[in-house]
Amino acid sequence: MSSFLDASLLPLFIAVPMLGSALLVLVRRRALEVALLLTVPILVGAGAVALMLAHRTEPVLAHAVGAFSDLIAIPFVSDPFTALMLLVTALSTLAASIFLVLTGESRYRFVPPLVLLLTAGVNGALLTGDLFNLFVWVEVMLMPSYALIALTGTWRRLGIGRLFVLVNLLTSTLLLIGVGFVYGTAGTVNLAALAGAGSEDPRTAAALAVVLLALAVKGGMVPVHSWLPRAYPATSAGIMALFSALHTKVALYAMYRIVAVTFSDGLPFMAVLAVLVLVTILVGAFSTAASSRVRTAMGHQMVAGVGHILLGLVLFSQVSLAAGILYLVHHVVTMSALLLTTGAVEHTYGLGRLEQLGGLARRDPWVMAVLALGLFSLVGLPPTSGLWGKIGLVRASAEQLLAEQPILGWAAILAILAASVGSLLGLQRLWRKMAWGSDLTTYRPDDPLTGRGPATPLPEGTRVPLRLLAPGGAMLAVSVAMFVGIGAVLPLTEAAAAGLLDVPAYVEAVSSA
Amino acid sequence: MILSLTVAVLVAGGVYLLLQRSMVRAVFGITLLSHAANFALLITGVPGWRAEPLTDVSPRGEMADPLPQAFVLTAIVITMAVTVFMLALAVIGRDDDLGAHPETGAARDVEGPDADGHAAAVDDIAGRTAAGPETEGRDA
Repeated sequence: MSSFLDASLLPLFIAVPMLGSALLVLVRRRALEVALLLTVPILVGAGAVALMLAHRTEPVLAHAVGAFSDLIAIPFVSDPFTALMLLVTALSTLAASIFLVLTGESRYRFVPPLVLLLTAGVNGALLTGDLFNLFVWVEVMLMPSYALIALTGTWRRLGIGRLFVLVNLLTSTLLLIGVGFVYGTAGTVNLAALAGAGSEDPRTAAALAVVLLALAVKGGMVPVHSWLPRAYPATSAGIMALFSALHTKVALYAMYRIVAVTFSDGLPFMAVLAVLVLVTILVGAFSTAASSRVRTAMGHQMVAGVGHILLGLVLFSQVSLAAGILYLVHHVVTMSALLLTTGAVEHTYGLGRLEQLGGLARRDPWVMAVLALGLFSLVGLPPTSGLWGKIGLVRASAEQLLAEQPILGWAAILAILAASVGSLLGLQRLWRKMAWGSDLTTYRPDDPLTGRGPATPLPEGTRVPLRLLAPGGAMLAVSVAMFVGIGAVLPLTEAAAAGLLDVPAYVEAVSSA
Repeated sequence: MILSLTVAVLVAGGVYLLLQRSMVRAVFGITLLSHAANFALLITGVPGWRAEPLTDVSPRGEMADPLPQAFVLTAIVITMAVTVFMLALAVIGRDDDLGAHPETGAARDVEGPDADGHAAAVDDIAGRTAAGPETEGRDA
């Protein structure tokens, strides 16, 4: 055990945001709200960095809450993958929180405590080593999300909130049933005790398949993705950036973890998953071109990203898992940058539909420069992290050409290339509509009392304030930094993949916690 | 067997109700489904009648498995909280899946007008194009 970080400190990742949230419900001081909204993600990020340092000597840290033995306690486990995810989610939460403060959305009643509670749920879901606890933390994560959808965003939010709640609740019920089946067939829901169980007992494999299906819905995989590009754009841009970095990514993380730990011989139904993942990549990429709103296009790109990330799981080698994790990190950062940048445009002009936007390249060159780089990153062009993300996945696919799955390898490479072209087509349409065309003449300024106001003539000199651009620009800088400093990032993702596959170490750490 | 059939009936009813348009029915559907999930959880730990899992009440050999019961307890609490939220949603927006009022065609005004969102809602849900001048004029 490393000297400066004891495993029994792991519950603090959940306790600190949750207590902060409780405090903000009791004490409603604007300064305190802003302070906690910004410091809690920083603290979580600092904790994640400390975890990463600790994992250099101690690959897995586990703590059994309540000190029960025999794998029946509530386990919190951290390995390099967990620490990396904690860091990335904390980073994007920080960017989204800054954006919420800048747009004034953090003044809405209960928004800061809800964001903190969301953070607590996410950290819990990332750290837990138990399937039932995963269900609980996912619910803790979704509860504030339901409320956040209802509080912020456009007029559509109430109808969409209903869609979001029903889809997620139905999926949670499915997840719960799946967990029950796992308990019925394997007699435990502790991941460490389930190590290899899916490969030993086909009944447990079927039960785990139900769990994975539920997580696939939450992650937004085709054919159960359609709620995502519908629900997310109805929230405000800042909240959507928060959701896109947290919800689907937690589900994908859980899928990675469950498959790696419980199926020691790879998934028995991997062929089905492989087809679905490749279709996800293509559907997400080509749907982008058909979007009429900026953030709907981003929603479809998120679906495409889900496919790319899961491709790392489908190929299932250490190289492919590392590539998938790298893509996950890249995607969180890039999506965050793009949503916050387009969110700044939307917040300033009150326009989110492509046909209403135009001429922004002349009006706001800096904003559009950031946006262009973000779009480059989505397509996979330098100088952004997207290039390495796609190269990693293509390399992992190419490895399969010489191994036992040459067809999957070819199909994956073709899908990635086709999806890049598809994304390019869709995103250049988005760019053309936003950047060129006639200048804006009207806009819809925000009215603090009634939400978005009616269309009014645009005053001279109205620009996107640079401070609104700052969070998105900072996230994009991270993406560019990942392109330049890929040598520093690759060891992290490779360590994460190695830790994911080192199931005996995971089991050992949890058993002796 | 009886529990399995109960789960089957609950799921069937839950799915039917969930596919209805009214939010209240959908809430009932979710409630039925979560009951089904709770029964499914109970089945995993309680194959037949078992005694209470309390050490000073029943002998160890007759005890039920306490873990599924703890699961169900947790799940019930979560479902109750979400049900309350969904019922609140049902109260705030009764026909909130529409872009415009079905009879008058007037835009809905739930919590602050938002013409842009309104236009998008009509566009996406009803498959028609922009909301028309009455939406624009209403706010002015």
